[in-house]
Amino acid sequence: MAVDDDPRIREVLEMLFAMEGIDIAVASGGEEAIKILEREGDNIDLLLLDIMMPRMDGWDVVKALKDRGWTNKLLITMLTAKGDPGDKAMELEEYVFDYITKPFDPDELVRRVKDFLEIMDAAK
Amino acid sequence: MQAENVIAIGSSTGGLVALKEILSQFPENLGAAIIIVQHMPGFISKSVVNTLQEVTKLRVKLSKEGEILENNTVYIAPGGDRHLVVNGKKIRLVDGEKVNFCRPSVDVMMHSIAEEFGERAIGTILTGMGCDGAGGIASIKARGGVTIAQDKTTSAVFGMPKAAIDTGKVDSVIPSYKIASEIIERLNHQRLT
Repeated sequence: MAVDDDPRIREVLEMLFAMEGIDIAVASGGEEAIKILEREGDNIDLLLLDIMMPRMDGWDVVKALKDRGWTNKLLITMLTAKGDPGDKAMELEEYVFDYITKPFDPDELVRRVKDFLEIMDAAK
Repeated sequence: MQAENVIAIGSSTGGLVALKEILSQFPENLGAAIIIVQHMPGFISKSVVNTLQEVTKLRVKLSKEGEILENNTVYIAPGGDRHLVVNGKKIRLVDGEKVNFCRPSVDVMMHSIAEEFGERAIGTILTGMGCDGAGGIASIKARGGVTIAQDKTTSAVFGMPKAAIDTGKVDSVIPSYKIASEIIERLNHQRLT
């Protein structure tokens, strides 16, 4: 699932992964992402998570997932324009598996996502 | 063959890409054991081991309590609930509070390696947030070991490498694609002395 408040990014990611045959859900913010995870979390292996979002930022989302025990079920990759993760990242570091900076190289993003999905498949 | 030289690697956010790149370049007769603490959720530990095994000629194992360190073997610390230390040339998985918000912690692992292997240790810090590993790197250097940090350009996040570099105890700051050759060169030098 991609969580990003920018509709253009959500659209690009949907198109990119559809071309690769990878199912992707999208959410426009943390609250929506949590609702989707509550509903169909068992089908979601990987979160591509923006950091700078209104209301809940990416780190608030990671913390919410950690508090619900979901960090033991899915992998989190930050996908962000923010080069420096910031102070909030310190205590949540071990829950974030990768960090990709926008603008991203689509081929590289797809390659990494495929790697992570393989790891998740093997872990089941 | 029991390892006399150890390469200790600490890695976090974005580390899988760097680890694959580094491990893929080592020969099968490296002549040292490699211990890796990669921050990750416990449930993917085994599949990360399998992923790394696919790219390297070395043997990759998920670390087990009491294992004796052998040459040409990569020991991955299980993600989750215990720290990894080396004591009496054996791996110990021990309970303990999180260190630098992490468990297993790179610092905890590297302090024990410094203590145990002294000048026959090589400590390497890869991409990651926070500062885990900086203290461990300083320990390895203080005991006569070699220390390496991944550079900013090739790091997904330049937090852990920067914290290590800021201790003033890092010998080489290099891109991920040069780390394997640097380790091999330093290892050869250690064996001659």
